[in-house]
Amino acid sequence: MSLGRFLLRRGVQGILVVWGVVTVVFLLRFISPGDPVNFIAPLDASPELRRRIAEELGLNRPMYVQYAEYLAGLLRGDMGFSFLRGQEASAVVFARLPATIELAVAASVVAVVIAIPLGVISATRRHQPADYGATLFSLVGISTPNFWLGIMLILVAAVQFNLFPTSQRPVGFLEAVGHLVAIEFAGPSVAAPLDVRAFADTLGTWLWHITLPALTLGTYFTALITRLTRSGMLDELGKPYVDAARAKGLPETLVRYRHALRNTLIPVITVLGLQLGTLIGGAVITEAVFAWPGLGTLLISSINVRDWPLIQASLIVIGVSFVLLNIAVDALYASLDPRVDYE
Amino acid sequence: MVSDRTKRNLKAELRESALAKLGVALVVLVLFAAVFAPLLAPHDPTATDPKNASLPPLGFSTTENRTTSQMVDGEIQVVEEEVQVNATASHPLGTDSVGRDVLSRVLFGARTSLLVGILGTALAVALGVVVGLTAGYYRGRVDDGLMRVADVMLAFPSLVLAIALIGLWGRQSIAIPDPFVRLGLAPEMPESAVIPGTVVVVVALVNWVWFARVARGEALSIRSAEYVTAARSIGASDRTIIREHVLPNSVTPILVLATIQIAAIILLESALSFLGFSGANLSWGLDIAQGRDYLASSWWIATMPGIAIVLSVVGINLIGDWLRDALDPGVDQGEGGV
Repeated sequence: MSLGRFLLRRGVQGILVVWGVVTVVFLLRFISPGDPVNFIAPLDASPELRRRIAEELGLNRPMYVQYAEYLAGLLRGDMGFSFLRGQEASAVVFARLPATIELAVAASVVAVVIAIPLGVISATRRHQPADYGATLFSLVGISTPNFWLGIMLILVAAVQFNLFPTSQRPVGFLEAVGHLVAIEFAGPSVAAPLDVRAFADTLGTWLWHITLPALTLGTYFTALITRLTRSGMLDELGKPYVDAARAKGLPETLVRYRHALRNTLIPVITVLGLQLGTLIGGAVITEAVFAWPGLGTLLISSINVRDWPLIQASLIVIGVSFVLLNIAVDALYASLDPRVDYE
Repeated sequence: MVSDRTKRNLKAELRESALAKLGVALVVLVLFAAVFAPLLAPHDPTATDPKNASLPPLGFSTTENRTTSQMVDGEIQVVEEEVQVNATASHPLGTDSVGRDVLSRVLFGARTSLLVGILGTALAVALGVVVGLTAGYYRGRVDDGLMRVADVMLAFPSLVLAIALIGLWGRQSIAIPDPFVRLGLAPEMPESAVIPGTVVVVVALVNWVWFARVARGEALSIRSAEYVTAARSIGASDRTIIREHVLPNSVTPILVLATIQIAAIILLESALSFLGFSGANLSWGLDIAQGRDYLASSWWIATMPGIAIVLSVVGINLIGDWLRDALDPGVDQGEGGV
């Protein structure tokens, strides 16, 4: 099967899962106690007013009609209207999405950049101090709740030594890029195109604020990937093809990185695919620790005030991102391992 | 269900691995703290004591600047003075901002974490194994249907779904009688044994899929084994085959996964409590959330319960490694934590 057909088939499966996600999110309102009207109507609303609000929002119609209308709305890109904020739910959610993506990507970069070399060093220097250090780090890393790690980082790096800010995200990554490519993204208007100095300043501010959250979210994955890379490398380095490569005189670096590491990465990517949920869930709580204005903080605050359109919209965006990321991981997996028949 | 060979492997691995021993020691320590919390705790974990608020842990006596207003010659003056704050042996890990004993709260917090971890995992195992074995054994439409449900469940990160369900359903908890209080061995404490019921149900609902997947995989391979064909040919019913053959032969990978999941659920519970989505009033995550507001002045309030979480989860993960190395069931690592 070709890559194109593989992606098409995964795409169709993905659409089915997305439909399931949307259905679960829709049903959530019906299995939750509390009348949605209560959260919009004033406390002393008359039964007549309450009835009219229900009618206005379509809440008095049969469930299947509401479901059909909800699906039709989603297909048009309409995720409902948040009365509590007076804004379209989709506008609120997509305004928050970049912050969460930045956090997740920064954490993944931290994890991959630290963990893969660390795992290789650990495997090639087995039973030496570096190996013990890396093993201890990965054990503690996968066992530490990231919100606590975040608070400890704030305690040490922000409160004690004042190196990093404790919270907030004053600028986004795209705003920094905006100084360079002269395209105006959402955010403050860009003063001049190709302003390298402004770009560097904005990027610096961005990095300064994202460092602690990215470390907080990335540590678990750093620990996990270190662990997987180490055990994978140990497996691979003991295989006959490695001996063969050495016997024909290939430099050790090439044997390790070109041959063994490439094969190690395949199971690493499988597990990472399974762990995407942890990355997104971890982002939610990391945002809560650092007051990071992403989807996680939006979801929590919307649940607390029962802002239904926003709860539903954030859950759908999270579910859909997860499905898309999984397809991307599968494609990456297939391209790394020629034996995979796109099945 | 556990063969002699398995027992030998477990013992041999435990003898050889220092890390496995450390894991067992840590888990025994946490279990001991949880079970005997009312006897071990020096104070009632919920009793406030404003006079002894924010005392540091032993070895960390500090000075603190306090401002007081005084009347001097008919005028109000603000006086700043340096006050020595001494740690006391009565509060070895210090006290929180309202004078509750941190050590006592850490000991009782172990109960909540372990109750949710163990009960939540048990419920997830029950649900996941039934669904997984059914799907894998019968295959066909049952399998397709159940696995699509599993795919949808997996599209929500467990923390996200748990927040949504608890936030919307509310936080019910069930107080259970504490044997030590019943027997008069420990003083009456209102919160001494509480099961956060909603949290237990929700963590099981968001984690059963991992067990369903593993059980399904096992059932798929076992159903075509020769001994199953033999059993079927002598007229054994499907139920008998599942109970007598498929289930016992899937125990090992499920056991290893369950160990890892207890650790994952303890982390999940602490995250839920930290965010305020829990029914328990004595929980490590909750104490970390409360300590966060006093980082600059009283670092120990948020630090101590976090150390307790790390030690428990390290212990359980080490036991998970031990079981995996000794039994080698080849389980994929499931969702590991928060």
